[in-house]
Amino acid sequence: MIVCSNCKNQEPSGAIFCSECGMQLVQLEGQKTQQIYKETEELHTAPMGGLNPTATSTWISLHLLDGGQIIPVSERTEFTLGRLSENQPIMPDLDLTTYQAFNHGVSRLHAVIRLVNGQVTVMDLGSANGTYLNGVRLIANAESPLRHGDILALGKLKIQIILNLM
Amino acid sequence: MSPKKSNLYALLGLFRSATPEEVRRAYLKSAKKLHPDKNQAPGETELFLDVQQAYQVLVDPQRRAAYDATLPADEVEQVFRSPLDCKIELSRPSIHGGKDKQLVYALATIATSADHARTAKTPPLNICLVLDCSTSMQGPKMEMAKASALQLIQRLAPEDIFSLVRFSDRAEVAIPASRQINVRRSEMQIQTLTTGGGTEIFQGLKTAIDEVQRYNSPNYVNHVILLTDGRTYGDEQQCYEIAKIAASEGIGISGLGLGSSWNDVFLDHLTNISGGSSMFIQQPDDIERLLNEKFTYLSRAFAQSVDLYVEPAPGVSVEYAFRIQPESGVLSFGEVTRFGPVLYDEPLRVLLELSIESDRTNLRSLDLLTGYIESTVASVLTPVPNFPVKLSVMVDDNAVPPPPPPAIMQALSKLTLYRMQEKARVAVESGDYEKATKHLQQLATHLLSQGEKGLAKTILLEAQHIEQQKTFSESGQKQIKYGTRSLLMPGNRVS
Repeated sequence: MIVCSNCKNQEPSGAIFCSECGMQLVQLEGQKTQQIYKETEELHTAPMGGLNPTATSTWISLHLLDGGQIIPVSERTEFTLGRLSENQPIMPDLDLTTYQAFNHGVSRLHAVIRLVNGQVTVMDLGSANGTYLNGVRLIANAESPLRHGDILALGKLKIQIILNLM
Repeated sequence: MSPKKSNLYALLGLFRSATPEEVRRAYLKSAKKLHPDKNQAPGETELFLDVQQAYQVLVDPQRRAAYDATLPADEVEQVFRSPLDCKIELSRPSIHGGKDKQLVYALATIATSADHARTAKTPPLNICLVLDCSTSMQGPKMEMAKASALQLIQRLAPEDIFSLVRFSDRAEVAIPASRQINVRRSEMQIQTLTTGGGTEIFQGLKTAIDEVQRYNSPNYVNHVILLTDGRTYGDEQQCYEIAKIAASEGIGISGLGLGSSWNDVFLDHLTNISGGSSMFIQQPDDIERLLNEKFTYLSRAFAQSVDLYVEPAPGVSVEYAFRIQPESGVLSFGEVTRFGPVLYDEPLRVLLELSIESDRTNLRSLDLLTGYIESTVASVLTPVPNFPVKLSVMVDDNAVPPPPPPAIMQALSKLTLYRMQEKARVAVESGDYEKATKHLQQLATHLLSQGEKGLAKTILLEAQHIEQQKTFSESGQKQIKYGTRSLLMPGNRVS
């Protein structure tokens, strides 16, 4: 017997998804629960990325300080950061899995970066390990302005913001 | 080609270990296809004679033994390459002992083998379009249906066979089954179709099946496409019966439901008996597109039918059978489960949920299902060998099973959403509105997180509707069902 951690429904062993609430019941390899990574999923707050035909050029690049890689972002004026997980049907717009996101404590849906009227903002989406802007922890679900050169930390994953706004 | 040179077993599509009964069945199947009364291509009559000769040798135990002695001893079991690749994966290799209920998922993938996919030769069509001409079809629905039917006729290839049946409370053949339909004449026929009367699907279905039956052969894709906008009363059972007979003769049935007042539960069941599926047409404007899609789908068939014949072991039951691809939908599991066609460019995937409730104390392994998969492939002249199915799991209390294969996880993650919608329906039917709304809200949450904004919104509105009206709205119910179902199709999104 398996008990769903989300809705306490009982499923026969061998079940892979909870038949009541749709939660995945099987933990995949390498994702054994560690307390630090456990998080409250606020699915309904997941924002939808919008396409803006005017923002076709790269307006922001993310410089990963640990690895030195630079990720350019174009087209989207709003994108979520997180890591892809087979555990949940959540798709972050920008998947940081390949940059050691899991080990750095990045949540599946960690933060969102938006470009509105030439203003760039960042908002933490209730992540487990928090989002830090220049070392100061952000309040969840509140937008903060981002400037060129700011250091954003998702958990322990440090990212320098490079803006290319005209 | 003389049977002396080619292997007699290969000629009949048999394994060396084939039982006399299998030899007999393979011969009958082959004869049906190659008989001089039916075959068309030159050389097929000669092949038929060879097949007959092969059968005469293999059916006689003495002659078969003598023949076997002439075969090289080290010959591998499979002497020819099957045109289909079959694979069945299980969600886990072992289950726990004891008596409690256990679940195991099995994912069957059947694809056209690489050699055949390249030279894709798809069989001609033998289709009958059945148009509901009841009073409710009057107006734009009927006009669109007529225009679409006409367009379909123009798309037919010279060797395709087409017929058109109209029905209300009685049925009429508007265009009898034939090749190379005269477009101008049929246009006139179609233009004179008028609406009036009730909806008795059995009448239409029966007439349509009779039309397809006239040219029915394993060399064609034999199919009935039913377009209706209403409910049939009282003849559901008769419809199922005739669909079953049609299915056993290789005729598939697809249903296109128009608007919101047709009975999707009925149409789903009617079509999945034969491995077909039902589709939901919201607007009359969509008739043309969806009918065309259906037509394209049928003309991409490489294997016209794939049927699963299995028997679950005692204490094992198949709780759910679902086709993920190419057309997603629930299948009705039984003695024979019809999976529908395999397209030359897209695999067929079916997911089975097996529940095990037998006592496994002191067992080391447990058989779940045994049987075979039978398929009909028109473009391959020799019969396709049956694919043996034998699913079993180890019984081990200490084993830590590896994670389920990704393909199963992926299929289930989407299927779970479809089943939540089913659960909400069941809850409404049993009067538990609170549970139904909860299911729908959870479903909407999952959909939102996947970016399916439109469908999620529809579902939330429907949840409100249920709270207030204590029932699903007819159109909302269908939008949700077919919306969540279409999520399962690869690369297909609902807006």
